[in-house]
Amino acid sequence: MDQYLSVLIFLLVGVGIVLFTFFIARLIRPHNPYKEKNQTYECAEAPVGNSWVKFNNHFYIFALIFVVFDVEAVFLFPWAVAFGQLGLFALVEMIIFIAILVFGLYYAWKKGVLKWV
Amino acid sequence: MIPIGHFLILSAMLFAVGAAGVIISRNLLIMLMSIELMLNAANLAIIAFSRMNNIVDGHVFVFIVFAVAAAEAAVGLAIIIMIFRNRESINADNFSLLKR
Amino acid sequence: MPDYNLRLIIPEIFLFLWALFIIAFDLGTKRKNPKLIGYLTMGGIAATAVLLYLYHGGISFNNMFKSDPLALFFKVIFLGSAFMAVGSSFDIIAQKIKNHRGEFFGLVLFSTVGMMFLASAGELISLYIGLELTTIPLFILAAYYKDDRISVEAGLKYLVIGAFSSAILLYGLSLLYGLSGTTDIVMMKINLALLYLNTNGIGWALLMAIVMVLAGIGFKLALVPFHMWAPDVYQGAPTPITALLSVGSKAAGVVAFMRIFIDGLYGFADAVMFPLDWGNIVAVLAAAAMILGNISALRQKNIKRMLAYSSIAQIGYVMVGMVAVSELGVGSVGYYMFIYLFANMGAFAVATIFNDNTGSDSIASYAGLSKSSPMISAFMAIFLLSLAGIPPLAGFAAKFFVFAAGIQAGYTWLVILALLTAVVSLYYYANVIKMMYFAPDNPTIKLNTPLSANIVLIIGVAGLIIFGVYPEPILNFALDTARVFGF
Repeated sequence: MDQYLSVLIFLLVGVGIVLFTFFIARLIRPHNPYKEKNQTYECAEAPVGNSWVKFNNHFYIFALIFVVFDVEAVFLFPWAVAFGQLGLFALVEMIIFIAILVFGLYYAWKKGVLKWV
Repeated sequence: MIPIGHFLILSAMLFAVGAAGVIISRNLLIMLMSIELMLNAANLAIIAFSRMNNIVDGHVFVFIVFAVAAAEAAVGLAIIIMIFRNRESINADNFSLLKR
Repeated sequence: MPDYNLRLIIPEIFLFLWALFIIAFDLGTKRKNPKLIGYLTMGGIAATAVLLYLYHGGISFNNMFKSDPLALFFKVIFLGSAFMAVGSSFDIIAQKIKNHRGEFFGLVLFSTVGMMFLASAGELISLYIGLELTTIPLFILAAYYKDDRISVEAGLKYLVIGAFSSAILLYGLSLLYGLSGTTDIVMMKINLALLYLNTNGIGWALLMAIVMVLAGIGFKLALVPFHMWAPDVYQGAPTPITALLSVGSKAAGVVAFMRIFIDGLYGFADAVMFPLDWGNIVAVLAAAAMILGNISALRQKNIKRMLAYSSIAQIGYVMVGMVAVSELGVGSVGYYMFIYLFANMGAFAVATIFNDNTGSDSIASYAGLSKSSPMISAFMAIFLLSLAGIPPLAGFAAKFFVFAAGIQAGYTWLVILALLTAVVSLYYYANVIKMMYFAPDNPTIKLNTPLSANIVLIIGVAGLIIFGVYPEPILNFALDTARVFGF
């Protein structure tokens, strides 16, 4: 339990410093709100429209393809660790696994979703 | 060594939070996130049991659940985007065309 | 060294590669040839059935994959339902789906591969993968009409409830895994029994696990009280997908139920060994399903909703055989699902054809159909009468065996209730037939059916008549599956 105590103290000190600076800032700063100041900051322009804008769909599709290959890594790591004992069969298996994912990438490419418009 | 009970209580609490989120929340995205939370609660329980029993099957199980959760989230977000395009809303209360 | 008997999963591998091929082929030919892709898909399913005949029998991957008679029997049902669903979707593909035709068939095949893995699962991990591989493509397929609000809403409902239920199932599985210390279902039964005998107070944890797994699989089966999604999703999804949901996905749920509850938890139905009996819980749910399904179906104006409630009632009848947990019980459930395949797929195929030609799903618009399309009306009448269980059609034999198993196991009250509700069900099935044959004539459209849909209808009617008059071969095959559980 002793090792964890130092972690706890470290955590408390970390949180304490942040709270302390906030407190000091609050003490010494002037407090003077007015309408323009409370507006949403938008690069020195007057804000236009709703802040809930629609993002380009492509962000979503890229994120999706990223997730697929991200999760693939979850399977690759244990495979790589145990590879020494597994031999050729595991290599072939993993090549097939990746080939299927590459087919998915090829499909996405052919459908034209990898192009940024 | 942390006793197994702690992990199980945490996982049960996460599962309850997730289930409550799906049932109470009216926002589809939050519902989807709550489902992911439920899956991860199960993952935590599996890993804790796996360590308790000293067998590694549970680790494989968790990898598989990761992959399934990613697939589910991908499909789920795609369907939510589709319904947003059709209806301009992701509030679950608005989708009652089929309740006739 | 683990045993990799790859020969046993050749059918699954082939079907999976065929799905990739269909998608690639559609991309390569610039989506010009919807009919050809459809026929290629049907050919692939038929080829898988042949491969299944050549390569089966045995255990592979350390019990993860069991190619036993039970798996074989249900795989035939899955392939049959996929074949008939694809066959009846040609007009939909041509008219309503412009951009994603290959993917439609590819996803149907992916889902079928998932069902096949599920049927062979001898282990919690492969069971979970199979279940998810079955449902995730169906989420997409249910929402396949991208611009149709109703279809997208159906997909959304199926997604939220399906993912929710599989999360509950997973938590239940994690409890079973933790209590038994193994993922192998047969080992799990032994370990749980030992644990129960040696440890006090473990019963509640087990009961919780059983209830969670039951809820998870109950959602897939649309068993009351986990049925709320079924009517909405069935109504909104493209009709061939509704058919696949109501037969293929449901049969997958039935086989998963058998694997977990009979193979893994059946010892606990034994009162001496274990006081926690899932048989009574499931019997009560089955009774609720029969009452609620049949009564709600009476009020429906939409044929797909009517068939949805009818399928909720049908799963109640299936569960009558399931709770018997005997040779006749398991065999009759298999036989019931096999007959249900022909009757339900056929009824949905007619609904698909009708919708393609008239754009309507309401029962009232079937009025006078017998005058313009006598053949299709006759087929529809046969499918509905078989669902109601009228002799000499196969639906009668199926109900008879299931009820016999129920009586044999001492669930007399359940069987009496089932008989009463079956009489109620006759009313709403006959209502459609009355509309088609005896309603005053409307200005009706002659239904055009593509060749593939005709094949589906003929398979359905032939199956119902042949297996109704001569049920022995399939019944023997189904009873043979019970050997898997040692009955």
